[in-house]
Amino acid sequence: MVDEVCLNDALLAGAKEVFETMIFMDIEESSEPDRQVEGDALLGSITFKGNLEGCLTICCGVLCAKTIAVNMLGMDSGEELSKEETHDAIGEVTNMVMGSVKSRVQDSVGDLEVSIPSVVSGRGLDSSLGDGTTKILVKVGIEDEYIAELSLLYRASSR
Amino acid sequence: MAKSLMIVDDSATMRKIIMRTVRMSGLDIDRTEEAGNGIEALEKLDAAPVDIMLCDINMPEMSGVELVKKVRELPSSVDTKIIMVSTESSQELIDDVIADGANGYITKPFTPEKFQEKLSPFMN
Ligand SMILES: [Mg+2]
Repeated sequence: MVDEVCLNDALLAGAKEVFETMIFMDIEESSEPDRQVEGDALLGSITFKGNLEGCLTICCGVLCAKTIAVNMLGMDSGEELSKEETHDAIGEVTNMVMGSVKSRVQDSVGDLEVSIPSVVSGRGLDSSLGDGTTKILVKVGIEDEYIAELSLLYRASSR
Repeated sequence: MAKSLMIVDDSATMRKIIMRTVRMSGLDIDRTEEAGNGIEALEKLDAAPVDIMLCDINMPEMSGVELVKKVRELPSSVDTKIIMVSTESSQELIDDVIADGANGYITKPFTPEKFQEKLSPFMN
């Protein structure tokens, strides 16, 4: 069965792949573990089920989310970015990171069925899944400027 | 010869990204259509068929897999090349959707080089 280290590595590697190829931004595991996502934030989440069930989330500040959206869409800095576009971009990032993680753990976990991503905005956002859940949290620095929290909440499937 | 292209994805952001990536890949495309779901795609294909369709799988209401089957029933679109673009990467699913009538598969995340590689066989 899969262990936490393996999932942790898959989460980080999956996020790196997505940020490098689709968003053209460098991400590294944060050297400031105490730094939090502050102020208004967006949280993208996507659920999965199979031998493991749970959800993957990505949380970052609104400014960071806008920068991600602008980069993904290849927009000029002068162009107006709508709230919908920013939400949609974070949803797609979540979807792609999940896809990348899924393909990395396929051999050890088996196939996972994935939902459609959802995005919420607010302050102090957190996700939970209930009893018997393991939570892996990876903080990443984006372009040495922003911080984002990637999490994987999971438990062995009850089915 | 320039080809016409349709991008089907429920995410407007992803449609824009795919459009940009196609542009960066240097492929000769003269007309592009977009659809946000399967129904819209079928309506647009019925009105004006395209040479190549890039199709998401994970969409609400009608999945990309169902859409492929429906497109193959349209007499106007029997020759349309359908390339799936999805985060779904299991070989079983890829084999299934190709058996249903898709012509190729690109996994997200992708690069312009990937589009060039997967689409150029259909550009002649
Ligand atoms: Mg989709």
